[in-house]
Amino acid sequence: MKNEWMYQLTGNLRVRIVGKGLERLLNEFTRRGIYVWNVRRERDDSLTCHMLLRDIHHVRGAMRKSGCKLYVLDRRGAPFWLKASWKNSGIVVGVVTFICIVFILSNMIWRIEVTGANPEVEHTVRQQLKKIGVERGALQFVIPSPETIQRTVMNNIDAITWIGVEWRGTTLYCQVVEKKRPTETKSNTPQHLVAKKKAVITYMFVEQGQAVVEVNDHVVPGQLLVSGFIGKEGQTEIVPARGQILGETWYKSTVAVPMKTTFYMLTGKKRETHYVRFWSWKIPIFWDHEEQFSQFEKQVDEKTFRFFTWTLPIVYEKVVWREKEVAVREYSYEQAKAVAKQIAREQLQRQLPADANIQGEKVLHEAKENGKVKVEMHYQVIENIAIPQPIIQGD
Amino acid sequence: MIRKWKNKMRQWLTNQMELPADVVADLPRITMIGHIHIYIENHRGLLLFTDRELRLLLKNGQLLVKGESFTIKTILPEEILLEGKISQVLYLEE
Repeated sequence: MKNEWMYQLTGNLRVRIVGKGLERLLNEFTRRGIYVWNVRRERDDSLTCHMLLRDIHHVRGAMRKSGCKLYVLDRRGAPFWLKASWKNSGIVVGVVTFICIVFILSNMIWRIEVTGANPEVEHTVRQQLKKIGVERGALQFVIPSPETIQRTVMNNIDAITWIGVEWRGTTLYCQVVEKKRPTETKSNTPQHLVAKKKAVITYMFVEQGQAVVEVNDHVVPGQLLVSGFIGKEGQTEIVPARGQILGETWYKSTVAVPMKTTFYMLTGKKRETHYVRFWSWKIPIFWDHEEQFSQFEKQVDEKTFRFFTWTLPIVYEKVVWREKEVAVREYSYEQAKAVAKQIAREQLQRQLPADANIQGEKVLHEAKENGKVKVEMHYQVIENIAIPQPIIQGD
Repeated sequence: MIRKWKNKMRQWLTNQMELPADVVADLPRITMIGHIHIYIENHRGLLLFTDRELRLLLKNGQLLVKGESFTIKTILPEEILLEGKISQVLYLEE
């Protein structure tokens, strides 16, 4: 006897046979090798039974002379099921399309919210976001990660100090912190100009006010440079003193540079593996060469998918291993000294205002100790030394 | 005459060589499982089938099975498996 599921696979029929001499007909079927089962007598002149779909043509031949009639009651098995599913495929296609559309729409950006910026800055932020592909209707798995967006926007817009990017559903929230620009208002309140540090004055340009010092004068912090009192004795007037007083100031800095440095360097070789993660099962779907690096940096990028408001437990994960190797850099004494000088200069420039100008430099002291070259530098800088000091009128 | 002799020869063989009778003598082999299944091998065709009665042609005579709610689970040229509530199995001689 064959297995029941075989009939399910090849297709079978439940039929009713009506007529006389049904026993004879069953004998005829068995003789011809037509397989029937579950034969049940219904009335005197009818019975029901199951037969295989592939036998149906032989059945016709066997029944020709019997004078019986055959009615098909039920069709079962894969061929009929396929036929039916083809008929119903419209619904299936519709449901699948609907799910796909909802899935795509759920993973789109619908809103970009920029807070903490004035309209002008907000506009530039939006422009910048658009440039890197972040705009309404963009798919979330195509656009870069929030960290990358943050970095790109911060690097490209000067007007902002910091931007925080965060996903919340289909909305991208950008929290912007603007740079506080010093308000360049011409103060009209009476003021003096005083020195902010020890300096020798090299250049003076007084817009308003009475100069008290001269070029080549040595001044100390807090010393009056330009007075807000003008006019002759007895008929003085109080004005906001304004002007540019450049002075030579001095800075000292010490920099130590190791002569031998060990650091890691990326070789540029990398290995990528793409995973799809269902809950906690990680299935690699694509990977390039199976080269193992002894030393590497691992970087993991994750992309989650959403359906309506739910985050799906399916995560796309990209893991990149970047090979790194130990590099040793050795400086000669002279090289180390040059590097130290350069570092010192850069450090100084960073702490000076933009309009300051390094006039000259001098090595005060240089020494080699513990494998390091220590250089003490002295700089002469020309910078604006005047800062306003309001005149408080007591009387 | 020859037929009789043949039959005797067969009987003798069965007794002497301890061969199963159905193989040697072409007799039906009937297996019953309680009163719900009956499996008959070596039949010669279906004579009558209703839900209370099954009549099979054998080489010698007929086999009559009586009971209730009969279903033929399988029917092959020489085998038949009947399901139902069997109450009697009768041999009808020629």
